[in-house]
Amino acid sequence: MDCYTANWNPLGDSAFYRKYELYSMDWDLKEELRDCLVAAAPYGGPIALLRNPWRKEKAASVRPVLDIYSASGVPLASLLWKSGPVVSLGWSAEEELLCVQEDGAVLVYGLHGDFRRHFSMGNEVLQNRVLDARIFHTEFGSGVAILTGAHRFTLSANVGDLKLRRMPEVPGLQSAPSCWTTLCQDRVAHILLAVGPDLYLLDHAACSAVIPPGLAPGVSSFLQMAVSFTYRHLALFTDTGYIWMGTASLKEKLCEFNCNIRAPPKQMVWCSRPRSKERAVVVAWERRLMVVGDAPESIQFVLDEDSYLVPELDGVRIFSRSTHEFLHEVPAASEEIFKIASMAPGALLLEAQKEYEKESQKADEYLREIQELGQLTQAVQQCIEAAGHEHQPEMQKSLLRAASFGKCFLDRFPPDSFVRMCQDLRVLNAVRDYHIGIPLTYSQYKQLTIQVLLDRLVLRRLYPLAIQICEYLRLPEVQGVSRILAHWACYKVQQKDVSDEDVARAINQKLGDTPGVSYSDIAARAYGCGRTELAIKLLEYEPRSGEQVPLLLKMKRSKLALSKAIESGDTDLVFTVLLHLKNELNRGDFFMTLRNQPMALSLYRQFCKHQELETLKDLYNQDDNHQELGSFHIRASYAAEERIEGRVAALQTAADAFYKAKNEFAAKATEDQMRLLRLQRRLEDELGGQFLDLSLHDTVTTLILGGHNKRAEQLARDFRIPDKRLWWLKLTALADLEDWEELEKFSKSKKSPIGYLPFVEICMKQHNKYEAKKYASRVGPEQKVKALLLVGDVAQAADVAIEHRNEAELSLVLSHCTGATDGATADKIQRARAQAQKK
Amino acid sequence: MAFPHRPDAPELPDFSMLKRLARDQLIYLLEQQHEVDKLYKVENKPALSSSEQLCFLVRPRIKNMRYIANLVNADKLAGRTRKYKVIFSPQKFYACEMVLEEEGIYGDVSCDEWAFSLLPLDVDLLSMELPEFFRDYFLEGDQRWINTVAQALHLLSTLYGSFPNCYGIGRCAKMSYELWRKLEEEEDGETKGRRPEIGHIFLLDRDMDFVTALCSQVVYEGLVDDTFRIKCGSVDFGPEVTSSDKSLKVLLNAEDKVFNEIRNEHFSNVFGFLSQKARNLQAQYDRRRGMDIKQMKNFVSQELKGLKQEHRLLSLHIGACESIMKKKTKQDFQELIKTEHALLEGFSIRESTSYIEEHIDRQVSPIESLRLMCLLSITENTDKAAGKITDAFSSLAKRSNFRAISKKLNLIPRVDGEYDLKVPRDMAYVFSGAYVPLSCRIIEQVLERRSWQGLDEVVRLLNCSEFAFTDMIKDDKASSESLRLILVVFLGGCTFSEISALRFLGREKGYRFIFLTTAVTNSARLMEAMSEVKA
Repeated sequence: MDCYTANWNPLGDSAFYRKYELYSMDWDLKEELRDCLVAAAPYGGPIALLRNPWRKEKAASVRPVLDIYSASGVPLASLLWKSGPVVSLGWSAEEELLCVQEDGAVLVYGLHGDFRRHFSMGNEVLQNRVLDARIFHTEFGSGVAILTGAHRFTLSANVGDLKLRRMPEVPGLQSAPSCWTTLCQDRVAHILLAVGPDLYLLDHAACSAVIPPGLAPGVSSFLQMAVSFTYRHLALFTDTGYIWMGTASLKEKLCEFNCNIRAPPKQMVWCSRPRSKERAVVVAWERRLMVVGDAPESIQFVLDEDSYLVPELDGVRIFSRSTHEFLHEVPAASEEIFKIASMAPGALLLEAQKEYEKESQKADEYLREIQELGQLTQAVQQCIEAAGHEHQPEMQKSLLRAASFGKCFLDRFPPDSFVRMCQDLRVLNAVRDYHIGIPLTYSQYKQLTIQVLLDRLVLRRLYPLAIQICEYLRLPEVQGVSRILAHWACYKVQQKDVSDEDVARAINQKLGDTPGVSYSDIAARAYGCGRTELAIKLLEYEPRSGEQVPLLLKMKRSKLALSKAIESGDTDLVFTVLLHLKNELNRGDFFMTLRNQPMALSLYRQFCKHQELETLKDLYNQDDNHQELGSFHIRASYAAEERIEGRVAALQTAADAFYKAKNEFAAKATEDQMRLLRLQRRLEDELGGQFLDLSLHDTVTTLILGGHNKRAEQLARDFRIPDKRLWWLKLTALADLEDWEELEKFSKSKKSPIGYLPFVEICMKQHNKYEAKKYASRVGPEQKVKALLLVGDVAQAADVAIEHRNEAELSLVLSHCTGATDGATADKIQRARAQAQKK
Repeated sequence: MAFPHRPDAPELPDFSMLKRLARDQLIYLLEQQHEVDKLYKVENKPALSSSEQLCFLVRPRIKNMRYIANLVNADKLAGRTRKYKVIFSPQKFYACEMVLEEEGIYGDVSCDEWAFSLLPLDVDLLSMELPEFFRDYFLEGDQRWINTVAQALHLLSTLYGSFPNCYGIGRCAKMSYELWRKLEEEEDGETKGRRPEIGHIFLLDRDMDFVTALCSQVVYEGLVDDTFRIKCGSVDFGPEVTSSDKSLKVLLNAEDKVFNEIRNEHFSNVFGFLSQKARNLQAQYDRRRGMDIKQMKNFVSQELKGLKQEHRLLSLHIGACESIMKKKTKQDFQELIKTEHALLEGFSIRESTSYIEEHIDRQVSPIESLRLMCLLSITENTDKAAGKITDAFSSLAKRSNFRAISKKLNLIPRVDGEYDLKVPRDMAYVFSGAYVPLSCRIIEQVLERRSWQGLDEVVRLLNCSEFAFTDMIKDDKASSESLRLILVVFLGGCTFSEISALRFLGREKGYRFIFLTTAVTNSARLMEAMSEVKA
């Protein structure tokens, strides 16, 4: 391990920078990088190259090609550029490629070269053209800033929610600024631009001149400016070869450096690590790379090839035709362990472990040394942390082995940090693989989160790897495997060369009943690709019928939607479909559809009952449902009609319907009601008073009460009121009138069909005991006891009961023997009972 | 009296959680979210309130939407602007929104939902308070509430664990059950780990047994319901009961110690029991005499309050009893009961028919006459009598095989001598020993067999061959105690007589029954639900 620090370059006293190779690129670049528009997404994202034919004076006749590669140079897409001249390329946070055209149009492509959408940066640009554009990232998403031919800036802080902001004019600006950049402060995007020796800050309200504190004199122009990844720091490169580094707010200077190179650099980017005190900027010229910071000397590298810098959270990626490297400040843990002659606990532990493997006793010595200082925990932690920052699996392993070795000598070292690091590194090594080509560092990975990493794998259609990672990390299915399978299925439905059956089957085989997978979402995607049949097939797998319905409606499969809605048992859903159908189909078809769906039909009927009575009638008509039609008209005769003629007419229609329905009883009853109505009307006209809507019974009663006995008799005959009912009716009415004379006459008119007990009862109800007694004598023997009890003649009732030798009657009388005077009677009954038992 | 439970009877699950849930939600909804300060009933008339905001808490019915629309439109005509909020419970229906739209007020109101479905009326009785369920489903064929039922069952299983044994009969029972299962599947994981608290669930459609619901009730609680109408577990006792000049609203549940002892009793025992109780109470009061100061102090501080409370309840129930006696012990009630029993037993049909005719001739009450005709129609399996009266009733009179079922299930107990109502032998006591409620008998038989096995003939006679189901979900975690707890779900309502009968069965067998019903019903409510006037 002697040469391990060979690629470490000190910058000042306290920091080392190292550059190591990520990939050797074997992309078959036809062009020189310098001839291309280049965009590389941060977090080890893809690289887009567009040979720039528009830069040259004479427009080339060949159309340029837009190529997209993974960070390892694996081609992802290649397409012929057919649109207008492009000014700038950039990747959004969702890894969508934004291509800003000269006419202000921004075309958005997916990772695989699939066109997504486009938007415009405003009409003003159409005449003035776009001179320059930047794609930048803020906490809100990805933004675009453009500089127009009129030297005005327009920006949108989030292309997902496009709001264009035209920035104020810079007073007296006649030519394009020598350099500019977007800043992001207090959640607002600003633009910093340099014109000659002056710097201006544009926010959406004003343009203000700013002066960096402590800027060396003699500057007549700024050639390059760079903002750090987090927008916290700013670096300015002047025409005097001087670099100013300070805060992005321009309130504080951090350091400065004079490199004495006056040639404008090709690129300048910050290279710093989160939570590190070191600040450094990487400046690239054609053949030279320089790392400068707060130190008198800089680190210099020679560039063999045309290279491109990609700023990252914790360093800089540098790629060229043949290699892809990473330059960063050596993290503290690694520095502690690997620095030459380091006595840090981690370094000792690593050494101890190596000796242990050699079976050397020195292992014990080293270990003792750490333990004596009580630094074993720290040593283990250092090794774990350093492992995370190593790129080579070999080195990761040896550090982890050391940590594991050290752990053995600790009583209570929580294992999770070790375990988690092992897991993280496995994931990282997997995605760093050449074929995958996402060279994430540990810090970047933690910043990005596993969820986003999974999204990016899905975006690259690396479904199996994503699923393996989910399973390996034991992520909950809904967040992990299910989500990925759903994405996979959504991708699968776009494969137009596979038949609907095969796609549906393949999807179902893989997804099965995985929780959290929504087949309706996948079906919606299939429908979005114009594959309606496939969508329907996929919906068949959706277990929740309710979820199937909205899409089926959208696909105009309303009838299928209806049966699905009915299956779901959700009435509301059925109703939604019904009203949809009602508008979509003509009335006849609609009714026919309903006819086969009794549940929907009854639902619709109910709705019609309240809201559309006429439709209800049509429905019954359509079905030749005469019974219901009859009932409908009966209801109408009460609710809708007020005039007697109208009511009778409605009843007539009802009666006709009932005949058609072969419901003779209902028809006859309806006809009777018609007759009664007419008759009541006549009675009202002739006699006055209220008759309408009385029942037949009440009509007759009213007539009797009014003294119209003849009429009452007539009515009873006309409507064939049964004798028994008529007797009850008359009896009650006459008693109400207290017309006892007439009642007696009536009782004697012929033999009562209801017997005479009712007479007793009714008289007693009117509290006329005298009259009641008259009738009690006429009550037949079977009911005699009851009658006598009713009029309160307990003694006689007892006699009759005894005479009848009827046990039930005896107990009935006995139960009435409550008064003090009934004592004798009670005794009598008891005696009779005793006698009966003797026999 | 008030038969004690067997010592091994399981404890009932705690439903107070549901109560708290409902109360807190309502308070939050009304007070905090909408700052409601006064409550009115939603009716088809102008609002009296001068408030700036009206909030309607309604069932999702088209009728209610019309009321609201009328009110809003009246305000509009009067040039008044207010805010309107409609809270649908348990859920909003698309049809309602449609009506609001058609009435042109969709833009004026905002809508909300309150997914409330279970109200614990008592320690063993949960009601969904959906009296409209019966008419909507069984008459109109509207299945809108099935989803609500499934949701309610889902809520129960999340709170009290899944049910290892499920039984059901009836089309609605089956649909509700299947929908509920689907909900469980969609949301699995949460309930799976729970130890089941209730071992059995039994779903039963009301149309399996209309007979029982159509009978006059004679156990105390049922009789109180028939006479005074119990609403939401409380009853308004009028002046004739309270023997004062005002009415009194009384909560009727297990917390009323007096009521709890008589609720399941046949009415003939109640009065005797109450007077005995009164004598005991008097005796306890009388103990005061001859007490020294210390004892008296003790008595006042510890016993007097309880005694007074008991005294108050006792006098209320005695009042209620007297009032019921006045109405029900008259000759005609005895005759009525006699006729009903004759119909149930299927003898002296001619006399029963002429009794019903006389009932009509006397014009006693159209609803009562119809009820008797329905009973006649179902028990005699003819639709000649009732079916023709109105189309609404013809749905009741669909082919019923009551006679055959009654024979098969032995619903009419053979009694030698007097049936001792004080010491009931079987569930028939709730109908004076004349008839075992069909619904309860079905439940008893299935629970005994743990399936429908051997009941094929009954199921066929009930016309339910496709809709009788058993589902055992093997669960080793179910304790033996939970396996003696049975949740009976009545779809379309149940009567207090059925509840009393099953409570009796539970005591006999060492089970505890819990009841979930769409609403508590009785014969009058059933008949009213079918007439259009009230609907």
